Amino acid sequence: MKRGRARSVFIGICVMPAVILFIIFMLIPTVNVFKMSLYKWGGYSNNKTFVGLNNFKILLEDKNFFRSFQNTILLIIIVTIVTMALSLIFAAILSREQIRGQNFYRIVFYIPNILSVVVISAIFSAIYDPNNGLLNSIIGIFRGSDKTPVLWLGDQKLVIYSLAIAMIWQAIGYYMVMYMASMAGVPQSLYESANLEGAGRVQQFFSITLPLIWTNVRTTLTFFVISSINLSFLFVKALTGGGPDGSTEVFLSYMYKQAYTNSSYGYGMAVGVVVFLFSFGLSALINFVTKREPLEF
Amino acid sequence: MKKKKVLSALLLTAMAASLLAGCGNEGNTPASGGDGGQSAAGGGNSEQSAAGGENSVQSTDGGDEQVLKVAAFEGGYGADMWSEVVAAFEASHPGVTVELTVDKKLEDVISPSMKAGDYPDVVHLATGREAALTETLTKENALLPLTDVLEMNVPGESVKVKDKIIPGFLDTLATNPYGDGVTYYAPMFYSPCGLFYNAGLFKEKGWDVPNTWEEMWALGDKAAEDGIALFTYPTTGYFDAFTYATLSSAGGADFFNSCMTYEDGIWESENASKVFNLIEQLGSYTEATTVANANNDNFTKNQQLILDNKAIFCPNGTWLPGEMKDAPRADGFEWGFMAIPAVNEGGAGCSFCWFEQMWIPAAAQNQDMAKEFVAYMYSDEAVQIFAKSTAIQPVAGVSDYLEGDNKMFYSIYDNGATAVMGGFAATAPVEGVNMLDILCGTVNSIVSGDKTVAEWQAAVEEASDKLRAAME
Repeated sequence: MKRGRARSVFIGICVMPAVILFIIFMLIPTVNVFKMSLYKWGGYSNNKTFVGLNNFKILLEDKNFFRSFQNTILLIIIVTIVTMALSLIFAAILSREQIRGQNFYRIVFYIPNILSVVVISAIFSAIYDPNNGLLNSIIGIFRGSDKTPVLWLGDQKLVIYSLAIAMIWQAIGYYMVMYMASMAGVPQSLYESANLEGAGRVQQFFSITLPLIWTNVRTTLTFFVISSINLSFLFVKALTGGGPDGSTEVFLSYMYKQAYTNSSYGYGMAVGVVVFLFSFGLSALINFVTKREPLEF
Repeated sequence: MKKKKVLSALLLTAMAASLLAGCGNEGNTPASGGDGGQSAAGGGNSEQSAAGGENSVQSTDGGDEQVLKVAAFEGGYGADMWSEVVAAFEASHPGVTVELTVDKKLEDVISPSMKAGDYPDVVHLATGREAALTETLTKENALLPLTDVLEMNVPGESVKVKDKIIPGFLDTLATNPYGDGVTYYAPMFYSPCGLFYNAGLFKEKGWDVPNTWEEMWALGDKAAEDGIALFTYPTTGYFDAFTYATLSSAGGADFFNSCMTYEDGIWESENASKVFNLIEQLGSYTEATTVANANNDNFTKNQQLILDNKAIFCPNGTWLPGEMKDAPRADGFEWGFMAIPAVNEGGAGCSFCWFEQMWIPAAAQNQDMAKEFVAYMYSDEAVQIFAKSTAIQPVAGVSDYLEGDNKMFYSIYDNGATAVMGGFAATAPVEGVNMLDILCGTVNSIVSGDKTVAEWQAAVEEASDKLRAAME
């Protein structure tokens, strides 16, 4: 009995630092975001006015907010689907096939993940440059160089996809390494018997590899949602600044703009609350939809 | 076994305690910011405090020593002039030590401590910057009126501050943000904004510099045959100066002020329509890749178009030649600078005059000395120090200190162009409405054809309505 109590005291002490840090740096700021979203406040003075849910009411009529909402959802969907497909394919090839220079490819794919977003933006600025950029030079070979250049960052219908390409390029390596790690755990014997039964490589991938790494894929889906929301802010900030004319504005860049440059801190926090609830809800939904009985091997 | 547990528990508590101690370290060691035994005697240490950027100097021997906290934005003119001015101020005010903070991202440096209630005494930071710190404090009524500074004598001279400042600079919304005649911002370095071009190109092609918009369009058509576009712009942010100037040229000073104070229906009036249509037409003469590079990462590529003779005109301020001084350029390149042609036939050309501002936060500790410092900025001594770095203040007789290209830039008003000053009146913050974003940012959509002028005009009027409601 006494021993049990000492044990729980010990456990309590062990988890205390983490709990304290969590409360100070996670819980209190989050509660503060929720609280501040109910005030009208510029960010500096002591003139905070309680306005109830008024900020949310304005939000419902704010066209610019809805545009940033649409852009964010579009980015989440495109970036997730394309990145997941490509990194699964690359991971399967690199871990199942015998290719010369395997390690070299692994490193090459992972490098974009080490680079800072600002560097990536500079690289893509150069690629997308309308006159001397890599993309337009290549396209120019086929359609003649005297045509008007494609404005990758200037055409409002294209620019969001230009952004998505940069995000995908950045993310592939990271998810590839994660998928490769769990593919390495799939027993070789399963593939051998599949070979004997006459299953092709594609069938092996869908019937053996994918089901066996499903738990891992599920986890990365949540990562995709969170990182798309976060990284899109950095890319927008560095690559387009939300332009041209707000066509690449996303959740967090809009929140930042309202809170820090439009002197409406409380309104910005209201956007923050929506982002919080949205990403929480979306992750929960994805988790629920993709739930499968985990396969043992 | 048990010993081990006790030991690890002890270690853990020690870790937790040290973590918390780290958080609570603030406040009990006031002198810890400085670097050791630096005394505050005289003005000798100002070099050091400027070099170190932010450097808190503590007065060692009480008495009537005062510490004045000055925060200044480091613009294109550099930081050295600030340390010089501070040294001169300290020399002429014995017993006063100035703690100087100069930074290119001043907002990031001073706003964390401001949020915690620790304000600088004097701040030199213009309106119209992206972080909008000045505007935020204005909207929150957190500035000190400078009425008595204007009535003060300039330190060491027998002239009142208000008499030394060039007439007109104190009657604008850029100094009296609430439009009630009370000055809150002291006008500092000014810079005319207009259209920059390559004067060498005009000589080479035998073109005349256009004086009216008719001549402008004719030139645009002629240049298009040589594959040169008439117009480009760095980012849409530069259209604030452009629209202010053209609005004033289209409808006069009163009309301009009505626009800036959000008068009902003003943006759909005939004069405003002239400006919107003008910009639309200009958009059709704009270099094709401009929109794609009109962001903070690539705007210099647009400015480069002027240097490469790919576009003729670019709206900008006098800092442009400095910004592009290391860029490659076409043979025979020579900077040319002109006011924006008159919108109405026979009217006067116009140029928006942009200036930086200095202000005192209402929460400043040392307000009297802060006022003295602001007044000192207009002394001959200070004006000369600033002018050495080509930072020009609106003080009578300042043109004597100018030379070279700068003489040409600042003589823009001598040729009959009207100086336009001011900016949008301060209002309480309106959630989701940013006038400059709507007025200037939309230009990209006009140039690329994604929005029509009618949509743009309606959006500006709608924003104006919302801001008017927030003005009271």
